[in-house]
Amino acid sequence: MCERVTVEDVERAIDMGFRDVESLKRYLRIGMGPCQGRYCVPIVLGILSRKLGVPIEKLSYVVIRPPLEPVPARLFLRVKKDV
Amino acid sequence: MYDLVIVGGGIIGVSLAFKLAEKGFGKILLVERNYLGSGSTFRCAGGIRASFTSREHIVLMKRSIELWGELKEKLGVKYSRSGYLWLTYREEDLEKVKGYMRIHHMFGLDTRLVGEDFVKEVAPYVDTSKMVGALFDPLAGKASPFDSLYKQFLAAKSLGVEFLIGKEVTHIDIENGAAKGVLIDGEKIPARNVAVTAGAYSVYLLERNGIKIPLTPVPHHAALTEDFGRLFDPLIIDVASGAYAVQTFHGNVLMGVDVEEKPFGELSVKLAFLEKVVSVWSKWLPWLPNVNILRYWPGYYEVTPDHHPIIGPVMPIENLYIATGFSGHGFMMAPVVAEEMASWITSSRPRSQEAGNLVLSRFEEGKTVKELAVIG
Repeated sequence: MCERVTVEDVERAIDMGFRDVESLKRYLRIGMGPCQGRYCVPIVLGILSRKLGVPIEKLSYVVIRPPLEPVPARLFLRVKKDV
Repeated sequence: MYDLVIVGGGIIGVSLAFKLAEKGFGKILLVERNYLGSGSTFRCAGGIRASFTSREHIVLMKRSIELWGELKEKLGVKYSRSGYLWLTYREEDLEKVKGYMRIHHMFGLDTRLVGEDFVKEVAPYVDTSKMVGALFDPLAGKASPFDSLYKQFLAAKSLGVEFLIGKEVTHIDIENGAAKGVLIDGEKIPARNVAVTAGAYSVYLLERNGIKIPLTPVPHHAALTEDFGRLFDPLIIDVASGAYAVQTFHGNVLMGVDVEEKPFGELSVKLAFLEKVVSVWSKWLPWLPNVNILRYWPGYYEVTPDHHPIIGPVMPIENLYIATGFSGHGFMMAPVVAEEMASWITSSRPRSQEAGNLVLSRFEEGKTVKELAVIG
């Protein structure tokens, strides 16, 4: 996964008590790289589901922060009015 | 039966749990309704300084900085005494920071005016061509909110503190004028003491028990760039706008600036914030327009009428304690607040007189904290 996190790291963190994807994100930095979690968060949810014995659809996804993908800061200088 | 139930798993609650567990204080349960750090802690910038303008803030933060050093030694928390740097490009702003400096010197804080050469050394990627002067605080610094909360969480857990995460305390159980525990899902969890460390949400929790506290959640905003190698070590402040920027331990630049917000307003994102923060910082960081913004999020400052926290007993209710109202400075104060709260809980008195001045009853008694000087 990005940010050089391995499946083993995720499994160990779950055993340490990080039992939701928001905490795993902040403990391991999964989902904080350039893709903002698009690739790794579904994988992490799969591991979490297997480890906790909870169906994947019952686990919540991470809160998505804007912008949805990395955006050059200069674009925001052209904002004329708030929306 | 617990000796203490802590309501709220942000940096204040987790630091308190760790501090008391270290002292060998009995059985502790910490309850967090969402996930640890989810309220304000993980939304904050992580700046740490004693260079304020009231006795209470300065004295308590000097102690907190000592304790941050201890946390780094003991737990390896990511903390660095890399300073704060106030940047000015107008003479009037320079006069303003000189006023701050005089107050800092009264309390033995070595803040000092610095020139271009110094700024270039500690902040090589800050453009000094428009600078008229800067104030540097060498005692100030920064810590990682994630790392400092998680390391104290793991340490507290290994010392026997229980954590109940994903459950909400709906009420404090108060009988005959004393806290007897908390209610979760209609079930009573008995405890000898209850500490509310629920940040902005403390006001809603205590309201359900008929306890009013003068606390106003006000939304603030922060944005983060992609990560880079070393850009600038100190947290930097643009004095004219009050905007701040800090390079995190991971290398991202985290920036914030005030935009118009309503008290008790909802946490929602505003394009106007991104426009303002990028435009303010582009003056000092001319490369900023060309880098990517990765994330942007809002969070609450829980503000009190005198902009100082509420720490200590909720009189006249016995065995009920509170620590909230940090008005934007809770993360940096957490170590000293944990120490003061531990003193209140174990010996019914504060450790320092300055903390004693911050009890809730000060608002009713008209003993609010005074700033030593109102500048600008």
